[in-house]
Amino acid sequence: MDRQVSGVSRYAVDVQGLGVRYSLRLTKKNTLRNSIRNTLATFGRKGDKDRAFWALKDVNFRMVRGESLAVIGPNGAGKSTLLQALAGIITPSEGSIEVQGHVSSLLMLGAGFDQELTGRDNITLVGAFMGIPHREMDERAVRMIEFADIGQFIDAPVKTYSSGMRARLGFAIATNVDPDVLLLDEVLATGDQVFREKSMARVHELARAAKAIVLVTHDMNWVSEFCNRAMLIEEGRIVAEGQPAEVVRLHQAHAEATRARKLAEAAALLGTSVDAAIGVGAGSVPAGLPTSGRSPKR
Amino acid sequence: MDMTQERPPSYRTSSARKGILSLVPEAAREIRGRRRLIRYLSQAELKKKGTDTFFGNVWWVLDPLLQMAVYVLLVTVIFARSQPAYPLFIFAAILPWKWFTTITTDSIASVSGQDKLIKQLQFPKIVLPAATMITGVTEFAFGLIPLGGMLLLMYPDRIHITLLWIPVIAAVQFTFSFGFGLILAGLNVFFRDVGNLARHVLRLWFYLSPALYGEDTVLSLGKSHPTIEHVMMLNPFYAILNSYRNVVYYGTPPDFVGLGIVMGGSLVLLVFATVIFKRLEPAFAKIL
Repeated sequence: MDRQVSGVSRYAVDVQGLGVRYSLRLTKKNTLRNSIRNTLATFGRKGDKDRAFWALKDVNFRMVRGESLAVIGPNGAGKSTLLQALAGIITPSEGSIEVQGHVSSLLMLGAGFDQELTGRDNITLVGAFMGIPHREMDERAVRMIEFADIGQFIDAPVKTYSSGMRARLGFAIATNVDPDVLLLDEVLATGDQVFREKSMARVHELARAAKAIVLVTHDMNWVSEFCNRAMLIEEGRIVAEGQPAEVVRLHQAHAEATRARKLAEAAALLGTSVDAAIGVGAGSVPAGLPTSGRSPKR
Repeated sequence: MDMTQERPPSYRTSSARKGILSLVPEAAREIRGRRRLIRYLSQAELKKKGTDTFFGNVWWVLDPLLQMAVYVLLVTVIFARSQPAYPLFIFAAILPWKWFTTITTDSIASVSGQDKLIKQLQFPKIVLPAATMITGVTEFAFGLIPLGGMLLLMYPDRIHITLLWIPVIAAVQFTFSFGFGLILAGLNVFFRDVGNLARHVLRLWFYLSPALYGEDTVLSLGKSHPTIEHVMMLNPFYAILNSYRNVVYYGTPPDFVGLGIVMGGSLVLLVFATVIFKRLEPAFAKIL
């Protein structure tokens, strides 16, 4: 360790050389049969490189308290994986993550609730999962219920909730556990206008209280409005980092370029596969399907 | 650092793997530190099991009684076998067996069933099968109510002081079930076949255990099929079920030697299971 050996690190979040690898062999919903077949198929082959996928690679960044970082990028770029890694939900395959303080990580708000239990019971359970002491949680529960503002439904099973209500309760829990580091994934898009404004105010409040916030979003207005820093991730790597406005501009330029390329590709694909269909006389292949993607071996 | 602290204020994760030997004390610390969570989870599980039914938690008492009635009918009427006080004879074995099958099937689903939660929160996953075990103990304890009622109302002459051995036998069974359930819970995340297979294995296991019949049947069977006798003797439930029957039905002490061997084996199994589970744990969030 070359830095801050004795004291507490200055950084709220310190990510060094982070890499997260998914083994495609295991990630698929597996049965014993497939697994044995795969093991036999890869047996003797050196490594398993072609079956691994790096969701994140060489990610380095640090955050101090009071910073709110927006993580933007196209779908599947690794944004959610980054949040999961920061929350300690998935362990790095490479590198290290150091977080100072408590993390609140209801990433996809409300999805983890127990459907059969009431909202109140879920609050208690989530508190226990987060390891918040019982007495402290009792006080917080009052604030959470007040913030969620779902009325009588708090004593009804969560399965009876609308998606908006579930998100409200989730947001209320995540932002009222007094986190030092708050991780939010696409949460501000849910709920009605009133609740959105309320949650905005809450995020501002937390940011002012010198908490570190990492926010994953596709809403670029939020990025410039809320965050004092932004990070663009593409294919598991940090492409740009810095002032929100600049990073957003770069992201939009990249998105535009990608869209143009996709359009061109689609046009080309459509042309060739129509030709192929006509040439072979295989009317069963619908035009425009990416037939080239299929493995010829099977 | 305080070892029983529920929530570490800061943490560091890295790609470095922990040594095998540190995994067992770590698991013990996690269970100890998260007692409250385990209790809540178990209470929630009990609550859920009761809410969807008309009779609610009365089913904990009713269920083993009905199961016993089915077997009594099957064995005494259809197979025309007679054994004095057969309902008690069979209940003494069915009650613990039901405990075992329930927690085995529940713990198989305990981790894979909480996939959404595992992807959202960081917590020691061992609390999930541990909560299932605690739920099982509660249900077993409730199952002792109809056993007590049966002894008082139907067979008061069979009430013996040996009944006090039940907690000891239950402790041996608990240790075995915990280790067994832990391995299956971890494996089921990777191979969903475990759940399908377990149903049939448990069914066969039941018939190969002295549940519907007694030790003497096994011994007489051994004369014609020595292999089956050996298989039965290797079965941990041979000693466990016979011991229950000794203390409840015959009023004799449990099979101490058999129980001792099973306890020793179960402790080894539990350590092995903990290492396996802890080793698989980091992959859960990626695979679910």
